[in-house]
Amino acid sequence: MSNFYDNANQQPPRAGLLLLQALILGVFCLFAVRLWYLQIHRGEEYALKAKENQLRQESIFSPRGLIRDRNGDLLAVNEPAYALGLVREDCPDIDKTLHQVAMWTGEDFDKLKTLYTRNRKRVKQFEPLILIPDLSFAQLALIDANKLRWPGLEIQVRPRRQYRYGMLLAHVLGYVAEASEEEMRKQPELALGDYVGKQGIEFMLESRMRGAKGLSQFEVDVNGRRLQERILKHPRAGHEISLSIDLGLQKLAMDWLSEEAGGVAVMDADTGQLWALASAPSYNSNDFSSGLSAEQWAALRDDPLHPMQNRVIQSVYPPGSVFKPVIAAAGLHYDMLDPNETVHCSGQIRLGRRVFRCWKKGGHGAVNLEKALVESCDVYFYKLGKKLTVDRMSEFARAVGFGKLTGIRLPHEKAGNMPTRKWKRKRFGEGWQGGDNLNMAIGQGYTLVTPLQVARFFAGVQNGGELLKPLLVKGEKTVVQGEIPLNEEQLGLIKHALIQTVDNSHGTCRRLRTKGVIVGGKTGTAQVVRLTDELKKLKDDQIPYKFRDHGWMAAIAEKDGRRFAIAVLVEHGLHGGSGAGPVVKAVIDYLFLGKVRLKPEAKKAKARAVRLLSLNATGGSNAN
Amino acid sequence: MPIDRRLLFYINWPLFGLAVILFLLGVLNLYSASGYRLEGGMSVAPYYHRQLLWGLMGLFGMVAFMFFDYRHLKTMAWPLFWVTVILLVSVFFAGKTIYGARRWLDLGFMNFQPSELAKVAVLIVGARILSREREPLDFLRLGYVLGVGLILAGLIIRQPDLGSGLSIIMILGGMILFRGVTPRVFKTALVTIPALLPLSWFFLHGYQKQRIMTFMDPSTDPLGAGYHIIQSEIAIGSGGFWGKGFLQGTQSQLRFLPERHTDFAVAVFGEEWGFVGTMLLLSLFCVFLYQMVIIARDARGLFGSYLATGVFFYFFWQILINTGMVLGLMPVVGIPLPFISYGGSATLVNFCLVGLVLNVSMRRFLFKQA
Repeated sequence: MSNFYDNANQQPPRAGLLLLQALILGVFCLFAVRLWYLQIHRGEEYALKAKENQLRQESIFSPRGLIRDRNGDLLAVNEPAYALGLVREDCPDIDKTLHQVAMWTGEDFDKLKTLYTRNRKRVKQFEPLILIPDLSFAQLALIDANKLRWPGLEIQVRPRRQYRYGMLLAHVLGYVAEASEEEMRKQPELALGDYVGKQGIEFMLESRMRGAKGLSQFEVDVNGRRLQERILKHPRAGHEISLSIDLGLQKLAMDWLSEEAGGVAVMDADTGQLWALASAPSYNSNDFSSGLSAEQWAALRDDPLHPMQNRVIQSVYPPGSVFKPVIAAAGLHYDMLDPNETVHCSGQIRLGRRVFRCWKKGGHGAVNLEKALVESCDVYFYKLGKKLTVDRMSEFARAVGFGKLTGIRLPHEKAGNMPTRKWKRKRFGEGWQGGDNLNMAIGQGYTLVTPLQVARFFAGVQNGGELLKPLLVKGEKTVVQGEIPLNEEQLGLIKHALIQTVDNSHGTCRRLRTKGVIVGGKTGTAQVVRLTDELKKLKDDQIPYKFRDHGWMAAIAEKDGRRFAIAVLVEHGLHGGSGAGPVVKAVIDYLFLGKVRLKPEAKKAKARAVRLLSLNATGGSNAN
Repeated sequence: MPIDRRLLFYINWPLFGLAVILFLLGVLNLYSASGYRLEGGMSVAPYYHRQLLWGLMGLFGMVAFMFFDYRHLKTMAWPLFWVTVILLVSVFFAGKTIYGARRWLDLGFMNFQPSELAKVAVLIVGARILSREREPLDFLRLGYVLGVGLILAGLIIRQPDLGSGLSIIMILGGMILFRGVTPRVFKTALVTIPALLPLSWFFLHGYQKQRIMTFMDPSTDPLGAGYHIIQSEIAIGSGGFWGKGFLQGTQSQLRFLPERHTDFAVAVFGEEWGFVGTMLLLSLFCVFLYQMVIIARDARGLFGSYLATGVFFYFFWQILINTGMVLGLMPVVGIPLPFISYGGSATLVNFCLVGLVLNVSMRRFLFKQA
């Protein structure tokens, strides 16, 4: 113990003590400055980062507005679709997870990987990137049971559009599909994977039906587990739309058009509302909303019958004799026609060196206006056309809505064509010929119309001259777009003649007679090609499908104050009476008698056979 | 050995109180750090519970370290040194391997780390040697003192446990600086140490290099090694001036902050108590350290001064390195913050060493009696 006191009186080194104090002071200052920097200088920035760590936001999908028919039957609804998404920030091993997803769903790994790399940049942080947009229930069950072991995978429920009658109303409703990049650029509220209307009503009324997405905020822990959730913004559901379409009538019209190509427009003559707008062949709207495959798309695009085409508003046809009431009205309007004056029809008329024939070989004999319409005498109208000339016919037809868009709320409507002298010179480089007037008067030649334009004109004849905008939404305000420039008496003459066409024993629309209903109509046959003599000799059944004339029928029907105009076109239907007539008759029976008369199976089978035959006969050869 | 009542009077009560206050703050913080939010509410892991038990044991240890006269340690210094060396060597043969490192001896009821003992041994041996040095150290004396430390440090680094090995050197280094060196030694060290530092790079393990690289730029590895640094800075920074409040720290409650009850415990504190609270905590640590400086100054006999200095550096380096790491000023090293980080044996040793310093303080007037 000798060293117990050896240095007892020594003082510790002063420099050392100072050093210790300096160290304390130095470290304290260093940390104080650093704390000030982190917590005060950059405090708000870090607070934000902590929030980002902790809080995530998610869109709440708003249901798209439902679509109903005029009687309240649901046409388009929303069903939950289960999508598998990947939150990349939560996923420790993307490749491994994608492999697992490939195993569960049977998708190709490389395809998933490509999808992932392509869309990675477009998905916001902590938002799921949709890998599989539509899981089957078996896949859903499998993945839901295992997903906790695969952090980052998330099952997202989003509403998907479901069309109850995908094929029936495709041309009216259109469809929704995932928003394109361009749409997303134009409308910043759209996110990747959102559905927007692309066609039809879905497209035109997009803003009313879409609604607005909501926003929810939830807290997550480091494993991405959701804790509390709070709704920041409630989603706003899209508006419901009720169409003017009558589902039963639409079904009936589509049934009558089955195996055919053609269109049906049924318009309420007092309001302009369309009760049916049918176009065949059709496609299934659901194929688009659930994602069309490349093969499906190619099949639709390359189908020679163009199922995507809405034949009521997008296809233009020569009107044929359906146009005769228009020409007659023009004659009355320009006071170049005395309805009682008779014209002799010998079965043909000569203009220069050309002979223009009436459809009836022996001729109609003495024909006044009514008889000319009832029996559809061509010679009467040749003569009228010669008097009126293209200038008046064209001017009048335009005034009653031909050659112009009807303004229906559907995309890509066609205006058709109403020729003028100027137009022909520009188009063909040659002047208007006298014979062109004659052809125009019977609805052949350069005149092209849509079935909807025809229906609108007929509705005008029926309702006292008002040309109404065709409407598709129930309750929409009726819009009078113009007037048929005829007085009541003149309009009555036309209307009476149309009714006589049904009631008269020589009338071309006799098959439309319906007990208790005042029906008027006009048939039409639109030449597709000028038939060669060789073809003319053939019986109807032997003419190749694609050379057959289109059959038209336009009608008006009235009972107890309910008035409708109906236009039907059956492509290559040969004659209006036989091709389109039964369709019109079925529509009238449905509207006024409540009878549902479907197309006989035998007729469907026959139409199918004809079509198949024509599809097999390739090329433009006119040999049988 | 009956204890003189006057001794109680001379105890440095502020130091005693600060140790207890810091420990209790640590437990409070630990309660929050081990809590986590679930869907249904909050749940707390029982760490704070165990820490309290260890603290209780620590208090007993502290009192035990005050009872005997610290001057007996002078004679026990070398035997203690050799016992430590033997234990460190035996670790190589009988040690338990955990996470690829042999650091532990299985004592049956607990795992014992001889490197913890080495930290205590080095400051006692250091005090023993340095208290006899009348002059600033020249090369020869410096080499002798450092050599003693390097034996311990070298054995520990071989385990491998670089952190503890370096702490040995740093504790001893601090004591040497307290003693002072000759101007020649000082100048030489000033030149050679910076020159030698880059060389040490080649002796580092891959993960150690990685940590240093990540420290330089955490954004290179935001989900790996840089994650700790980034999340720690976010935790502290988001505390702001007043903090988010007790149990309200989202970084810790939602477990974004890793190692939140051990090495990064003070980040939890910073998040919940803000600038005000953290500055207060730092001040407490400063006063805590300052009390040791006072004890070193007033100690009767240089051995006591050096003991206090050794304990000072034992705490000082840990506070500097741990807080520096949490504040993003230093690379990530697994060194806990005394009293604040969870750790049973560390708490025990901390209290015992505080007891040792209190021992020095309370006997500053009573040397003749012994």
